[in-house]
Amino acid sequence: MIRRVLDGLYLFAGYAAGGFLVAIFLLMMVMSVGREVGLNLPAGDDIASWCMAAMAFLGLAHTFKRGDMIRVGLLLERLTGRARQLAELFALAVAAAFALYFTGYAVGMTWDSYRFGDMAQGVLAIPLWIPQTGFALGLAILGLALLDELVRVARGLKPSYEKDRPTSPDELVERIASGESL
Amino acid sequence: MALDLPTLSILLLGFLVVVLATGVWIAVALGLVGLLAMVLTTSVPVGAVLATSVWSATASWTLAALPLFIWMGEILFRTRLSEQMFRGLAPWLQWLPGRLMHVNVVGCGIFAAVSGSSAATCATIGKIALPELEKRGYDQRMSLGSLAGSGTLGLLIPPSIPMVVYAVTANVSVLQVFLGGFLPGLLVMALYSGYIIVWSLLNPAKTPPRDPPMAFRRKLRESAKLLPCVALILAVFLALILGLATATECAAWGVTGALLLAWFSGTLTRRTLLESIMSATRLSCMIMLILAGAAFTTAAMAYTGIPNALAAWVEGQNLTPHKLVFALTIMYIILGCLIDGISMIVLTAVIVLPMVKQAGFDLIWFGVYLVIHVEMAQITPPVGFNLFVLQNMSGRDTLTVAKAALPFFLLLNVAVIIITAFPEIVLVLPRLAFPE
Amino acid sequence: QTKWNLPAAYPADNPHTVNLNAFAKDVADASKGELAITVHSGASLFKAPDIKRAVQTGQAQAGEVLLSLHENEDPIFGIDVVPFLATSFPQAHKLYQASRPAIERKLGQQGLMLLFAVPWAPQGIYARKDIDKVEDLKGLKWRAYNVGTARIGELAGAQSVTVQAAELPQALATGVVNALMTSGATGYDSKIWESLDHFYDTQAWVPKNVVFVNKAAFEALPKPTQEVVLKAAAAAEQRGWKLWEEKSQWYLEQLAAKGMKVAPPSPQLKDGLAKIGEQLTADWVKKAGPNGEAVIAAYKKM
Ligand code: NA
Ligand code: NA
Repeated sequence: MIRRVLDGLYLFAGYAAGGFLVAIFLLMMVMSVGREVGLNLPAGDDIASWCMAAMAFLGLAHTFKRGDMIRVGLLLERLTGRARQLAELFALAVAAAFALYFTGYAVGMTWDSYRFGDMAQGVLAIPLWIPQTGFALGLAILGLALLDELVRVARGLKPSYEKDRPTSPDELVERIASGESL
Repeated sequence: MALDLPTLSILLLGFLVVVLATGVWIAVALGLVGLLAMVLTTSVPVGAVLATSVWSATASWTLAALPLFIWMGEILFRTRLSEQMFRGLAPWLQWLPGRLMHVNVVGCGIFAAVSGSSAATCATIGKIALPELEKRGYDQRMSLGSLAGSGTLGLLIPPSIPMVVYAVTANVSVLQVFLGGFLPGLLVMALYSGYIIVWSLLNPAKTPPRDPPMAFRRKLRESAKLLPCVALILAVFLALILGLATATECAAWGVTGALLLAWFSGTLTRRTLLESIMSATRLSCMIMLILAGAAFTTAAMAYTGIPNALAAWVEGQNLTPHKLVFALTIMYIILGCLIDGISMIVLTAVIVLPMVKQAGFDLIWFGVYLVIHVEMAQITPPVGFNLFVLQNMSGRDTLTVAKAALPFFLLLNVAVIIITAFPEIVLVLPRLAFPE
Repeated sequence: QTKWNLPAAYPADNPHTVNLNAFAKDVADASKGELAITVHSGASLFKAPDIKRAVQTGQAQAGEVLLSLHENEDPIFGIDVVPFLATSFPQAHKLYQASRPAIERKLGQQGLMLLFAVPWAPQGIYARKDIDKVEDLKGLKWRAYNVGTARIGELAGAQSVTVQAAELPQALATGVVNALMTSGATGYDSKIWESLDHFYDTQAWVPKNVVFVNKAAFEALPKPTQEVVLKAAAAAEQRGWKLWEEKSQWYLEQLAAKGMKVAPPSPQLKDGLAKIGEQLTADWVKKAGPNGEAVIAAYKKM
């Protein structure tokens, strides 16, 4: 049950991030084509920037779970068994602690924006805490995903971000098609 | 606690290496180095600086081009573009010594103009060219090497993901870096093709006979398959030149073009569309988090004063610019073996950019120089994405592929020497568009 | 010894940054090294939109920012960008004196203390064709980047266009934008003559950069050092106003030397703009309420 809720949360946030990507695309097209037909989107640049931030952070947990977050695997990949598990636990604990610390301050910043009445600086006077909520929320979900993973690995399960090597060229192409590496 | 700057720098560098080596994710490692630097040197609220600098680096209009260029590549990857490219180019390249081997170079070069990624370029062209070349009996080592090398053109010929990352990190115009990469891209293609010609002349036995000749009309008909791709490149370029789009909005036009292309070729289904969006999102999120970590480290370093001290040190050394470039080249080649290109750019930017500026280099030029090093990193073992791609496609091990790619790695070094000797190759187009 | 960080958004060779460095040096000299201020120019520590917030929350002790950037927070921060309210350096200086208490009060509520303010060059209209009357702006692709410029565009019937500062050179070169309002200095710095060839010195408004300090950080200084900071600030303010007054003429000469048509607005254009100005001042007063009205009244009396 908890498993399903959590996985659903990561995936849902991931889809939301995808939605913001599409929103950036649409905004830019409206701005570009709009100029030709005399339509101006006030503060379209600001809105696109906020979509950018929302996309970047809401998609983090999903990206992490799918194993698309990069690290230097040179030493780690040479370890096996118990040693590997300990190493993974260490990396996860460090990352989770950092993510939670970060989340705390991101929430604090958003709260301060609300408290101070900070406003966007362009043509549109939008309270800044609104776009900043996606930032704080995305980080919180990432923190949760890291803790979740820490528990998984501590219980001896294989990390869900770890992928097997592709077995065939087609599988590899398929993986690159799903955005595995640069 | 009072630490002098050299001790602090060494401490931070050591810490970074240890944290990276234990497999902590790169973005987190960057963040931790920033935290340590600030805790050791300042009394300002560190967490608040972390939140502010990351938010301000991420909520960025210029950066919004990045996920769109990635998405464009993801859409095109799912079309039949590569097959069309091979069929369209093959009939015309038969007469050159080395014959169809040049399809790798030219095909990757053209695909590079629509894709911002090296592995995607390598895989797209490779999945069709590798079996076709093998079927005809071309030397496998040479075709693997030329594919590995040419795939990296995805980064040098605009659009390019590392170029956007660099432009944002160095605070220079994305458009100018793009323009700067164009001629060096052609230069690298010329070097590759030149090498293939020389090699084939020296090894005539290793080049199979040409395909049966084709009637001119048929050749033309085959080449018409290249049109959609060329049209896409032109459309994006024209949108910019005609004032239809700003440099950032060009990325959106690229997506529109890619969607149209996929639609006409019948490969645009609900499933591929959703897949392309989600994989573009994941790749963008990964890069954005690293950029965010780097933004914080940059701020942290500004508090410590290390970058300024280093720039002043370089000034005091009276290093000739060429010596500095030589030292950086060695450093980047070593780094390139071990880490991926994006990390290479952001990890070094804080320290290297002030030095380079101090030594009087143009930051656009340096961006192109750096991207060529990122290209090299794609084909040097043990960590090289193009090597991984080809290893899986050909079934040969990484080291064999790396050996095959070695001549092309050396040619990239030649390209670095040439653009250092003649920086105009990089700068002429950006200056033409934005006169100083 | 106390160390302060002072983030600033403009490049090292910008006159504002040069003035800031001189200020930092004055403070260091006069306090005999008791207070060392590091100026982080070119947005190298914080980007422009975040500087005020960073000083408020103690991430930096002092900062410099274009005051009007924060006009959405409180209309008083936007008083120096109300078009055609103060159209010369002497008027801008009066407006500054009239509005200073209100600005200080608002900054004070945010935990900040105003040290000094330095103007930019006055704003004029750049275009690719003759602009003899307001109607000539109709249909032009007009860069709107804040409330004032958006309203001018709207009232003049121009087509407002949103383009980020970083993309402005390219947008001008390719015709995405073909008219805008900015200072002679900014036009010179961005080599605007490559794409536009007319400049009308309307002196529409004189925006200011303000330098402020975190109040707690200031109060933590020993009394004599506080005096030193205030004295250096007053000197920097005077230096800054004098410098920009001299410099703004020089910029216009440079534009003309590059082959631009540099002219004062025609009487007709001036009248048309003045009408728009009245409307925009009324807009502003409506937003700013009785406090704002009092500032305007005090200014008009000076
Ligand atoms: Na490319
Ligand atoms: Na490598």
